[in-house]
Amino acid sequence: MSADDVEVSRWRHLLINRFVLVPAAIALAVVVWNIYVSTHNHGVITGIVVDPAGRSVPGATVVLWVLNFTTYVEKTRVTTDSAGRFVITDNDSHNIRLAAEKPDIGRSPRIPVRLYFRAQDIELREPLVLSGAS
Amino acid sequence: MHRYPRWPIHLILVGVSFVMLVPFYWVLKTSVTGENIFAYPPSVLPRAPHPFYYVDVWYYIPFARYFLNSVVVSTVAVIANVALNAMAGYALTRSFPAKRFVLLLFLSCMMVPFQATIIPAYLITGKLGLLDSYWGLALPQCSTIVCIFVFKASFDAVPRSLIDAARIDGLAEWRIIWKIMMPLAKGAIATNVILAFIWSWNNFLWPLIVTRSADMQTLPLGLARFLSYQEDTTGALYAFCIMVLAPGILLFLLAQKEFIRGLTSGATKG
Repeated sequence: MSADDVEVSRWRHLLINRFVLVPAAIALAVVVWNIYVSTHNHGVITGIVVDPAGRSVPGATVVLWVLNFTTYVEKTRVTTDSAGRFVITDNDSHNIRLAAEKPDIGRSPRIPVRLYFRAQDIELREPLVLSGAS
Repeated sequence: MHRYPRWPIHLILVGVSFVMLVPFYWVLKTSVTGENIFAYPPSVLPRAPHPFYYVDVWYYIPFARYFLNSVVVSTVAVIANVALNAMAGYALTRSFPAKRFVLLLFLSCMMVPFQATIIPAYLITGKLGLLDSYWGLALPQCSTIVCIFVFKASFDAVPRSLIDAARIDGLAEWRIIWKIMMPLAKGAIATNVILAFIWSWNNFLWPLIVTRSADMQTLPLGLARFLSYQEDTTGALYAFCIMVLAPGILLFLLAQKEFIRGLTSGATKG
């Protein structure tokens, strides 16, 4: 075995062991997660508002509440477009609630939405369903 | 060849291990479900688990800052423990006047609880100007008598002829420690690393006394602060516990082989 082989073997022994590989894997996961977070934290929430029959509702008001330490406080209001879609662009919380209302059609229940990090960009999977108008 | 079958012992050990792991499982389960711990009948399997209590903990308090503080203090404590305890342990393997008295002094000091010495420790730290600093947080944890004896036991197991040969070759005492003794005492090093890390990581009383600003607090203090802030936080509280415990458990799992070897080195001779 040459001196170079001995040197390579020593470096391999130093670097390829569980005390190096496990922290390195954790560090890599942290870096990847932080890159993902930094590219998906614009605070954009999108979704759709529908009536009990499933038709989109234009002109409905969608209200965003954010957790203020122990209670939820209203953060912003937006109005749905002609296709019943809404876009909120200034969410800075990880623990929010959303609700929609339109005087003629009714209001939706206030739904809790949990995010994996603050200001996470999301599109709601389920629409906000208005109901209860007399 | 064993005289008796070993499977009954293994079966008992598996059962005991299971009982020991139940509290950890319960904490982990509650951290992902947030269910009431007093619910009856209790659910064994988690219902609708989710990771959001961990997210809450991350944002409710400055977790990253506390984590960084704990990592810095524990790293200083671990490095100082390995270096200082190795030197002290090596000294105790040598012959010198009043060695028995020093050993007796060390053993008797082990019986004095830290709470009894906390006022002089605080005054010394204050005189050194280290209050509310990383060095001040780590200072009383930089050497522990138990770990000195772990090194001593490990060094005692090294043949005297090896040390004599190194001395004849012209090595100074400190080089004998780092070049000859330390490579042969990996178990003792692992034991020192794990014990120093866990003791430093879990220390509550000393950081409570020596820190003044919120930015210098460590994770155990963060846990107390978290409890004082929040109500109805079963899930988040347990998630916090998991986040505090995880580094220590990971370190133990990584070094458990060396740790056990270090604890048992010197127990048998020949």
